[in-house]
Amino acid sequence: MPDDSRTSHAVILGAVDPLDRLRSAGKRVTDPLESLSQRVAERVVDLVVQALDVNALVRRVDLNTVLDQVDLNKLLAKVDVSALVERVDLNEILAQVDVSALVDRVDVNEILQRVDVGALLDRVDLNDLAGRLDMDQLIEQTNLGAVIARSSAGVTTEALDAARSGAVGLDRFIDRWVGRVFWRKHPRPLAPRALLNGAAVEAEASP
Amino acid sequence: MTARAQDPGWRTLQGNYAGSVSRFAAYAIDAAVSSGLFALGLAGVSYVVTVVTGQSVNWNRGNIAVAAVFVVWQFFYFGYSWAAGGKTFGMAVLGIRVVRADGLVVDPWRGVVRALVFPLSFLLFGLGFAGILVQREHRALHDLIAGTAVVYSWDARSARLGFLTREPDPNRPEGGKEDTT
Repeated sequence: MPDDSRTSHAVILGAVDPLDRLRSAGKRVTDPLESLSQRVAERVVDLVVQALDVNALVRRVDLNTVLDQVDLNKLLAKVDVSALVERVDLNEILAQVDVSALVDRVDVNEILQRVDVGALLDRVDLNDLAGRLDMDQLIEQTNLGAVIARSSAGVTTEALDAARSGAVGLDRFIDRWVGRVFWRKHPRPLAPRALLNGAAVEAEASP
Repeated sequence: MTARAQDPGWRTLQGNYAGSVSRFAAYAIDAAVSSGLFALGLAGVSYVVTVVTGQSVNWNRGNIAVAAVFVVWQFFYFGYSWAAGGKTFGMAVLGIRVVRADGLVVDPWRGVVRALVFPLSFLLFGLGFAGILVQREHRALHDLIAGTAVVYSWDARSARLGFLTREPDPNRPEGGKEDTT
């Protein structure tokens, strides 16, 4: 015959955990302790921070040593410079720049001393530059004309130039008419191949 | 001062083919000078002969010897001038000179050849000179044979600048009009 009392005890013990009361008692003790330790820690940190002289601490830090350990290239590689520049309003920055003061600080003479004028002139096409000058206007508006006149003027020179100019004018006149008579469609060559730039024949000095 | 396109009419003509009027004027001066020099030479020879022999000498145009000497003198005058400097006296006055057909300085032998064939342009009823007018490079028959050309050797632009720099005539009234009162 089975023992009924043993069966009922097993059912009761299965529903009630004997350690529950112990756990709840522990919890009642640890919770206040935890909050207390939290407050103590915060208070200690406050006291430590107040006691610390941060400036003195920073002064004791060797920033060079710290920076030596930082890989700036790697750091900069992560920076999106384009995005950074796009966020900068350069016009606003430039508007704040005092250009006059900036220029006053520049030693122009020193800069000019560094300039290789010879190399600069090598890059300039002086012939093209001279070709763009209006020499007639230059002569008329400057004393250069008087200098040339004093150095080259003469009755014989003027007479020769006048005679030559007259002859050249008639040459051209006749050329034009001959061209019309012969229905020339293509212009004549101006000069022999070697003289097209007018440089191979030396200027004939007028007596 | 402004930069503007230069007037093409006053660009230097140096090296351009010389036209007919300049060449004809140069030849006219040369003909006058060479003939004058020849006449002076004959007069000098006559004077010397008269002083030495006491007899006067009259040069006759029809004298073959005189004509031959004149031809030789002409050849010498033109040939030497072209061979030595590429220009005669008349060409120097008009500012033109003889160059090779390609524009380089004329060789002495070309100057001599040009003087030798120069009469050909006359002998063909002057047609040899027609090339100066109608040929594209203003080359006459003797130029084509000798391989030469005639170009301007003076700087027209310099002359123009010299003209611009002339000081105004103080006696000339403003506006260039003569005072007729």
